[in-house]
Amino acid sequence: MKKKDKDIIICRCEEVSLQEIEEAITEGAVTVAEVKRRTRAGMGLCQGRTCRQLIAKLISKHTGRALKDILPPTFRPPVRVVKLKTLGGEESCFLKKQK
Amino acid sequence: MLPQKAEVVVIGGGVIGSSIVYYLAKKGIKVILLEKNGIASGTSSACEGLVFLQSKKPGVHLKLALESSKKFSNLKEELNYDIEYRNNGGMVIIENNEELKAMKIFVEEQRNIGLDVSLLDRDRAKEKEPALSQDILGSTYSPLDAQVNPMYLSFAFISSARNLGAEVYTHTEVTGIRLKFNRINSIETTIGEIKTDIAINAAGIYAPEIGKMIGLEIPIKPRRGQLLVTESVPKILNGVLISAKYIAAKFNPSLAETEGEGISIEQTVNGNILIGSTREFVSFDKNVTPEGINSIAKHIILLFPRLKEINIIRTFAGLRPYTPDGLPILGKVEGIEGFIMAAGHEGDGIALSPITGDLIAELVVKGETSIPLDEFKLERFYS
Repeated sequence: MKKKDKDIIICRCEEVSLQEIEEAITEGAVTVAEVKRRTRAGMGLCQGRTCRQLIAKLISKHTGRALKDILPPTFRPPVRVVKLKTLGGEESCFLKKQK
Repeated sequence: MLPQKAEVVVIGGGVIGSSIVYYLAKKGIKVILLEKNGIASGTSSACEGLVFLQSKKPGVHLKLALESSKKFSNLKEELNYDIEYRNNGGMVIIENNEELKAMKIFVEEQRNIGLDVSLLDRDRAKEKEPALSQDILGSTYSPLDAQVNPMYLSFAFISSARNLGAEVYTHTEVTGIRLKFNRINSIETTIGEIKTDIAINAAGIYAPEIGKMIGLEIPIKPRRGQLLVTESVPKILNGVLISAKYIAAKFNPSLAETEGEGISIEQTVNGNILIGSTREFVSFDKNVTPEGINSIAKHIILLFPRLKEINIIRTFAGLRPYTPDGLPILGKVEGIEGFIMAAGHEGDGIALSPITGDLIAELVVKGETSIPLDEFKLERFYS
């Protein structure tokens, strides 16, 4: 049985389907960040590591623009998840740095 | 392709421009929106979604917020879009005696004009928000405070505006404004020129650039707010909260320059907790800094110790359109017929977006507004 677009997951963390991504592009999203704001794709634990390439390819496919011209999303710290106490508690990484 | 003319051109597709376009289209006006990036791609997607009434200056500022709040309650139905609006109340956290003294006066003023707000001691505050620290002194509480998804709110306005006939051009930058005998004549863009009698400057932090095109000096400055986002967790917060320092930083500029921080916190529908923000003047720099993130993290652990073990998945920064007196710039501009300002809401843009859109649409159609906008005129900065 062929999988339907709504069953194909593009963003695993936030469980965003191919269909939802394509709808966002139809609504006018032409950058990875614009797709993210509409669908939450890339807002989860991995921050888009898996899906941003796929989304860029989908935008390229639907808009006819070259893949290299599709703006990537903004990269922000932390590189991997950290506990809040690591950023501001007694065990803060910033305190250790100062020692 | 851009049409040759429009009754009204709105410049800026943030939450303010989106709202204006919607309310104009609702009144049957042929309106066009020009946005240089995507809808809600700047300030409106780099903020929290607080619809907070208690942080507004008692007076016409609070009046605007109250009217806006009324509109929020049925926007979901009106726009037929789940904007994740939730009216679960809000608190201002009081940490020391100095803040308590200041907040007593602030609350008194707000109660005098009929705002439903009260002071809670520590135990009652913790009853409402069990995650609060034992070390706080107390809080205020108002059942009127609420939250919304700022991006969905913007998309909702745009989607309804389009259904009503508005045309929206994203990735279209305004490059010039032509005047004819001190009247708006046309708007030049990267994809062509459009004739119009009325131009609305809803460009937020870029509003001064638009002003410059017709020789206006608009004293809006970008003020950076750095935020932290946690992983999605089960419900920890019932409503929205800010620290009393936020109020101080907002209305006492000298304090804002030095302390530069006021905590605000909300949990979204998806379970992520948004924690903000610093308040820094660093021009258009949208980067986060170790100092900024450390400072917010430290403060939030003091207020909510149990958040310590929760994972932070992202940090980000947004630029808010600051004005010298903390109030937005709204309404007609003397000497330039057809030019209307709707920018400079700083941290109040989300909360004030429905009323701003409605009033500006009223101004366009009737030439005057049901709530006077005199206190928000651009000219207040020139005297």
